[in-house]
Amino acid sequence: MLTKEQKMKLYTNLVRVRKLDEIMVKGVLSGKVCGHWSSQKGQEAVGVGATTFLRKDDYIFFCHRGHGITTVIPKGISPRAFIAEHFSKNSGACQGMGCLHVADMEYGAPGLSGSLGGDFVLAAGMGIAAKMRAKGQVVVCIQGDGTYGRGTFHEAALMAANWKLPIVWGVENNQYMVFTPTSDIFPKENMADLAFGYGMPGVVVDGQDVVAVFEAFQTAIERARAGEGPSLIECKTYRIEPHTYGMVDKRCAGLRSPEEIEPWVKKDPVNLFQERLLKEGVLTQADVDRIDREAIEEMEEAERFATESPAPDPQILKQVLYWK
Amino acid sequence: MREVRFIQAINEALLEEMKRDETVFIFGECVRGGTFPHTNGLFEKFGKDRVLDTSISENAIAGAAVGAALAGYRPIAELMFSDFFLIAGDEICNKAAKWRFTHGMKLKMPIVYMASTGGYIRSDSEHSQSVESLIMHTPGLRIAIPTTPYDAKGLLKTAIRDDDPVVYLYHKLLLTKKGEIPDEEYTIPFGLADVKKEGKDVTVVAVGFMVDLSLGVANKLQERGISVEVIDPRTLEPFDIDTIVTSVKKTKRVVIVDEDTLRCGVTGEIGMQIMEKAFDYLDAPIQRVAAANCPIPAGWYLEEHVLPQPPDIAAAILKVLGKDMDISDMKKEKVGFDAVKAFGDLGITKVKQN
Repeated sequence: MLTKEQKMKLYTNLVRVRKLDEIMVKGVLSGKVCGHWSSQKGQEAVGVGATTFLRKDDYIFFCHRGHGITTVIPKGISPRAFIAEHFSKNSGACQGMGCLHVADMEYGAPGLSGSLGGDFVLAAGMGIAAKMRAKGQVVVCIQGDGTYGRGTFHEAALMAANWKLPIVWGVENNQYMVFTPTSDIFPKENMADLAFGYGMPGVVVDGQDVVAVFEAFQTAIERARAGEGPSLIECKTYRIEPHTYGMVDKRCAGLRSPEEIEPWVKKDPVNLFQERLLKEGVLTQADVDRIDREAIEEMEEAERFATESPAPDPQILKQVLYWK
Repeated sequence: MREVRFIQAINEALLEEMKRDETVFIFGECVRGGTFPHTNGLFEKFGKDRVLDTSISENAIAGAAVGAALAGYRPIAELMFSDFFLIAGDEICNKAAKWRFTHGMKLKMPIVYMASTGGYIRSDSEHSQSVESLIMHTPGLRIAIPTTPYDAKGLLKTAIRDDDPVVYLYHKLLLTKKGEIPDEEYTIPFGLADVKKEGKDVTVVAVGFMVDLSLGVANKLQERGISVEVIDPRTLEPFDIDTIVTSVKKTKRVVIVDEDTLRCGVTGEIGMQIMEKAFDYLDAPIQRVAAANCPIPAGWYLEEHVLPQPPDIAAAILKVLGKDMDISDMKKEKVGFDAVKAFGDLGITKVKQN
């Protein structure tokens, strides 16, 4: 059971991530964000539920959507470093070299594969290292549904299961792969079924319910820390935004209908958890307002910091490629 | 003749060839919806059996193309970004490229591997690469890199009809480029370079998008009395060295421009072929312009320090001519902003940037 403080922390992280998303959208519109922004709005409960209570020395891999917003922020990377990286400033998490590829090994976040699904095999290697080090570290690797089409998952899943590596595979199933519905490319209802061929637990969980996500991951994380090997958790959610912010919103060759999106907007994970906590008496309306205000202040300050930071010095190009 | 965009030219070639030959089909990630909309309209016209959306499975896309080709079809495998050829290296470079050779020349391999290529879009190191040197390096693969709508259509039709595996690369920044194409059917043979601009003082051999940058520089230098000939090889395998040698015999000076890295990039190969065939005609050492030996950084500020820029091309031309001239008016290619606008024109994005 979660304590009151833990529930407050989960809720606060949901709100922080939502406010950061809003700042990123503004950054795209003002031309400060370099490249694109793939909003994870409506899917925050997955990453926040899975990573808020990880140890600092645990490792995380995150899906392309949100560029890690729902995992690296709960894990401890600062919104300043996140936004500054997207503005390609030298104060960014990767000194302005990575843009949407936010990383900081101090928080166990090594980066994001440019080719989707490239992270699975790296997670297997971090699992090998975590097992060798024997300090109880785990690897939480949350990837989008589309990436599970890559052979890399199957190769990594086999290795992890065979060697009982401390890894939790997460599917953030938002039902879309750019314009292609996942149901068009995956023949079964549940991607969690992929687990059984590798002899690991496969669980389906409501991805809009942050507590349900937390509990499913907690069970798998404890199992991994105990040396019993990997698990696969499929979180059912839905992409309410287009593939990238402002992009034409297609389904196959046509357009996606608002009627399809509407029911999922009502299942907003932040609102759902807020209602529940108000009902349980964990939060008062005054708490809700304060958490909102503090999150907005935090993100606006981070945005100002990023805007005012200098661009990277081109001399860095001579230093970054090799260690010496 | 009529004016079309580069992307329409690709689209027309796909439509015409799929109509002409029902063994031609296209598959890849989001080809129905078209992340680059050159596949628009194909699904409506040819249906789900010939226009197939795949999972994110580059190995399966590239490998299934080999299997379908072996079984008598003419697959077009769309890989979206040429960076992802590295994922499917075994299927493209070992299977598609080598199986005809390995299995006694009895197998046809009529595959087109299509993908966008190149940078200047301020994306990142895994979405901005130019891989032509890797492909040109691999015996068994053909490679076509069009730079005009006319070439895009004619080369793609040839690629689809070719019985060998062809890598066909379209540069992201060329997709909105306009140009004239004839109303009647045409194809462009492989291995035939095109002189995009005639000149007498120096030969610039430019690959892909570098043709456009080089033409821009050549036009500016023309005003200052320097006559630059710009040659677009159009295909790197087969490679038309003869057209280049003919030009070198006239100009005696060569600059080679490519967007791939300098080290082991195609500029080195092309330069050496010129040395072997036309050394006696050269009045100065060959100059090369290519990307720095460095991954392409993401973000607003650093890409221009890695990828070739118009001032670099101008400086190389002046150097090979032994001239000194003020070229401060030649600007770097800050095109990230324009790319967003271009994608807006193509209907890929609706975002307006201030």
